[in-house]
Formats: sequence, C-alpha cells, structure tokens
Amino acid sequence: MKIKIDYLGRVEGEAGVEFEIRGGKLRRLRINIWEPPRFFEGMLVGRSFDEVPDIVARICGICPVSHMVTSIRAIEKAIGFEPDENVLLARKIMSYSQIASSHLVHLVMLALPDYYGRSSFMELLPGEEALLKKFIRLKDVFNGITAAFGGGRALHPVSMVVGGFTALPDEGRIRGLRSGLPAAGEDMMDVFKTVSALELPDLKTDSELVALSEEGGYAVNKGRISSDMGLDGEEEDYERLFHEKEVPYSNAKKTAVRGRGALMVGALSRVSLHPDRLSESARKLALESGLAGKNKNPFYNIRAQAVEIVHFTEECRALLDKVQSGTALPKLRPKEGEGAALTEAPRGLLYHRYAVDRRGVVRKADIVTPTAHNYLGIEENLRRLIENNIDKPAERIRLLAEALIRAYDPCFSCSVH
Amino acid sequence: MPFSSGEKWRPRAGFFKFSCCTGCGFELAYFQRSLEDTLKSFDFAFFRLASSSGDFDSLLDLALVEGTVTEPFQAVELKKIRKNSAVLYAVGSCAIAGGIPAIKAGGLELEIEKRAYQKKLYRLTSIRPSVLGDYVKVDGCVRGCPPGRHDLEEALVSVLLDRKPEFIEYSVCVECKMKGNICLLVDEGLPCMGPVTNAGCGALCPSCHRACYSCFGLMGQANIPALKDKFRQLGLSGEEIERRFTLFDGLKLKK
Ligand code: SF4
Ligand code: SF4
Ligand code: SF4
Repeated sequence: MKIKIDYLGRVEGEAGVEFEIRGGKLRRLRINIWEPPRFFEGMLVGRSFDEVPDIVARICGICPVSHMVTSIRAIEKAIGFEPDENVLLARKIMSYSQIASSHLVHLVMLALPDYYGRSSFMELLPGEEALLKKFIRLKDVFNGITAAFGGGRALHPVSMVVGGFTALPDEGRIRGLRSGLPAAGEDMMDVFKTVSALELPDLKTDSELVALSEEGGYAVNKGRISSDMGLDGEEEDYERLFHEKEVPYSNAKKTAVRGRGALMVGALSRVSLHPDRLSESARKLALESGLAGKNKNPFYNIRAQAVEIVHFTEECRALLDKVQSGTALPKLRPKEGEGAALTEAPRGLLYHRYAVDRRGVVRKADIVTPTAHNYLGIEENLRRLIENNIDKPAERIRLLAEALIRAYDPCFSCSVH
Repeated sequence: MPFSSGEKWRPRAGFFKFSCCTGCGFELAYFQRSLEDTLKSFDFAFFRLASSSGDFDSLLDLALVEGTVTEPFQAVELKKIRKNSAVLYAVGSCAIAGGIPAIKAGGLELEIEKRAYQKKLYRLTSIRPSVLGDYVKVDGCVRGCPPGRHDLEEALVSVLLDRKPEFIEYSVCVECKMKGNICLLVDEGLPCMGPVTNAGCGALCPSCHRACYSCFGLMGQANIPALKDKFRQLGLSGEEIERRFTLFDGLKLKK
C-alpha cells in the first residue's frame, strides 16, 4: 500500500509526504518540502544593513516579527549598538502578540479540523459559529497590538527598524489596547477548553527538547540555548552545537544537535522545559494539561500553544503598563562586524547571523528556522507513529500522519526561504 | 466545501500560491476583519492554507494568485489556472512587480544560489523570477505587501457584484497629504519613495515617521528620474538609490 500526499493542506507553505507499507513494514518514508527556494541568504548579500529586517520579514507571512527582531538583534550586535530598555519592552510586545495570534490561527483554523475528521474549519460551521466569532475577536485584539506598535499593520510591520522604532503609539492608544485584554482572556479560556478537550493520539518520542532559557523570565527575544539533555550555550555557540545538512529530495535542510540527533523546538519544548517561568495561571493550566516534565509527545504541542496564549495575554497586559510612548531613534553608524542572534519564534528556535562591511553592506547571511530544526524529528517521529499504527486502515494512517505533521505547526516557507 | 447558509449564489473562488511568504493568503484568510463575510460569500474550491481538500482543476469565477513565478512548473500551473478562471487577479507585490523574490534578478543568479546551497545546486530547477503578467493575462492587480484593505475588498466585491474593480492607482503622497502629514522628503530630507509608489496602505510609513520603502511597488505613471535626481541632491550615492528602487521592483527596472 502506497500513501502519497502531494500538497499538504492547512500548513504554511508547500510540502508533500509519501510512504509505503509492504508486508507489515514501513518503507521509503519521506517528507518532501518542495516549496521553491527564494535564496534569501544569497540575495541579502549586497543589501544595506537597514534593509535587512524588511527583506527577511518576507520570509514568512505569519511570523514576520520574529524574523525582523532576530535580524535586528544580530545586526545591532554586528555594528555594536545597544538599544534602550523601552525599545526592548516594545519588541517584546511585538513578539508576544505575534506568537499569540500565530498560535491562534494554528489551533483553530489549521489543527482543529483534524480532530473532527474534517478538511477545513469552514466545514465545522454553522456548529462552531461561536468559536469562529471568538477567534476573530481574539485575532483582532492581538493583531491590534502588533499593528499599533508596528506602525499600522501586523503583517510586515513598518515602524520596527534597526536601532528601535520610528514611532511608538501614544498613551491613549496604549491604554486602549490594554483595556481589550481582560475580555480576550475570557474568550481565550473558552478556546483553551475546546483545545484541551481534544483527545490526542499517544506517541512516545526521544527528540531532544530545545528552547531558549532566561533567568527570571520566559525567554522569547533572547536567552541561552538549553535542552532536556543538558545542552547549554550562548548564541555565538550555535554553530558549534548544531549542524545543518542538505537533503537530496527536499529544498529544506535538516538540522540536528551535533553528536546526538533530532531535536524538537516550539511551544511544547518551551512550556515543558520551563513551566516554572510561565505566569501563575498559565503554569497551572500547563500542569493540569500534562505538559510539565519533559512531555515529548508532539501532539501535545497544540495544548502548549493554548497555554502560551494565556501566558502571553497576561504578559502583554503587564508590558503595556510599563512601556513608554514616544521614541527617539538614534542615528546609526555602520561599522564592520559580525553578529548572531537566537530568538523563540512562534514555532521555536530561530537563528540569524550576518557579517557587514564598514559601509554597512551585508557580506554574509545565515538563517536557520524553527521548521528546519524540527524537520529531522518530524520525519523520525512520523515513522514511529506509522509503525505503531501499521495494522490500521490506510485512510486512518493517512489522517494520523497529516495530524502529526500539523501538530508541529510547520512553516515550509520559512524552512526553505 | 459544504456550507449550509441558504441557497444564495456564491461565486466559486480559488487561491493559489507561487514563490512568496504566503502573507497575501494569510491576509485574506486570517487577518482581515471581513473574514466571516468572505467565508460566507464565496465557495472556496481551492485554498490550501485553509483546507486540506479542494480541487486544483476546478472551474472558477475568481482566481486570486500570490507569489512570483520562479519555477517552470509554476508557469504551467498558472496557465491552467488562467484557462479555468473567468477572472484572475494578481495579489501582492510578488505577483505584480516581482517583490522581494525578484531582488535576485538584479545579481548573478548562480552566485546567489550558491550562497544558499552547496551540494543541492545541481538539483535546483529555479528560473529567473517573473511576474504573472509575463505568462498570462491578468484582470487586475491587488497591490501591496501585504495588500491594503480597500483593494482586497474591492477584488471580492467586484466579483460578487459582477462589475469592473476600481483598484487604487495614485501615489502614496496622495494618501499622505490627506492624512495631513508633514512631508519627510521636502521638510526633513528623508529619501521617501512615496511619490513613485502606488497607494493603498494609507501612507503607513510617513505616518510613523519613516520614509516609504515602496512595498506596494511602483505606480503606473511614476516619474522615476525626477525622484532619483531628488535623492542625488539629498546626497545619496548611486548604489543607495539603486537599492531603493530595486527592493520591490527589481524586475521592472532591469528590463
Ligand atoms: S506580496 Fe508580500 S505579503 Fe504578499 S506574498 Fe509576497 S511577500 Fe508576502
Ligand atoms: S512624506 Fe513621502 S509620501 Fe508623504 S508627501 Fe512626502 S514624499 Fe509623499
Ligand atoms: S508607506 Fe510605502 S513602504 Fe510603507 S507601507 Fe506604504 S507602500 Fe509600503
């Protein structure tokens, strides 16, 4: 029996899966990420350092803020610039609100239909009309925050640049954004209940859980590399700790922990490695949902995403109380140098590294995305899942396979870039 | 996709992606406020970002296509989509002007590809980036990166009402002046691309004290030499000027 999905739906970007089951044995499993390459690492060379965030934003339509923040931090390191505290707060608000809305799209629109045996959210209507309304309301609140700090739009924001922000929202606007959050919190609890009621397939894996770690906080925009197997290092150590390999049948590369193997990045790794750093109510939900303590079942990633939305809603509230409006953008002087940065994008660990010359022109660029970090593990764990279910009917196996890939919330556009 | 909302006629639509960030698709599916109306007014026969079923070959009242053509198979698909569709709109700067994926066209392409891959190079099938209009007739352009609300809604409404769409075709400066902004180019000497860039964003950048970087692409009657002169007067080098004009419009200016 041959199973072949040419163009996986409800994921970001383009990929297919194929495998064969013969004589009770799984053969020839491969995830072919055929998303065409756009060669970002090539085309960035020769561009000016201050154009980089706007270019890399276009790697991905759902996590542009992550690519922008990561590139901005790497370039600021390369040219030896340190932004002030308020800029860091505003960048956190950008990242947190983007993660919340990215998770929300994944949970409701992309993942949920799998658990109802449907091919799209539209098919859950009119029964799930109330959930659709909540989704739209919540999405509006989080996008509204990203857009307000991003100069008017959440997708490819314009005011966040190397050095800081060209402008920040005024106080009235910030108060307005903050006032929307309590109601969002209530809507979110309903979404949380829907998600945590879903029955998740069982799957034991041994992928290494990798996430950033920061003293006294839940690491997003920076942190040390950490894992459940003792990995530890700074952003500069990244290339020493991980290695990347080209794959003959795919346009994306596979990343592994050097000397070990597959890793898992994303909400599940973050939550289960650092539950103690979540807000109090999010931590409680994480414990109740079976997420603390090195949970390595990738299907639980959707629960972890729901927990994180609760966490980031509360964090946004606290940050909106602290952040100051108004901004003075410093005049930046380019300088020859190199810089690397790691952040937690919605889907996990994201790495950017740049070398710029003395005029600020990019001479080298390197980008490794969350889905490239997960690629090897997705394939390995898909093999496990199918082997565990090898006696099930073909249609059931196909649905399980799709659901597993989707649980990782892969972004194939990012993975190839 | 079955949807029980009465018998009202719903145009059949498809959304297709070529090489791009999928942002236009996200904008249509998950960012816009009229999401609910869109879902209910159209029967989406193909929209991979929203559904795991759907038929690529279905006959359509409206095809929306995002992305730049950078692979031979995409050109074949695009022609098929055109044949199947009554109306085809190009969505976003990638599809209309080449956008970010076309920066590559301004350099030595093989050199650029080598910086991203070492081993796999011989298997790559990438071709020089082209816009949709190079391969098929396009009935309208929903400009932006991502598109603005007006044009996106206009694309949908024009099909629902079966009339010619009125997409925005004037410069960012017009929107900027309507907002009452102080001019960054004239008053502060910032290299703003507003005078040559198609409007539709609501002059976002100048409204937050940033020079427009032309993400909506050049407009039809842009006076490019005049703005280049102005930038030269402001003290920008030839290279700096070139970069500004090739960020989203690398293809147009190479031709
Ligand atoms: S036009 Fe912009 S938003 Fe649309 S797909 Fe291209 S890069 Fe993404
Ligand atoms: S700031 Fe830019 S967009 Fe606004 S009027 Fe001046 S040149 Fe035009
Ligand atoms: S002002 Fe220019 S760069 Fe800014 S959003 Fe509008 S078109 Fe894009």
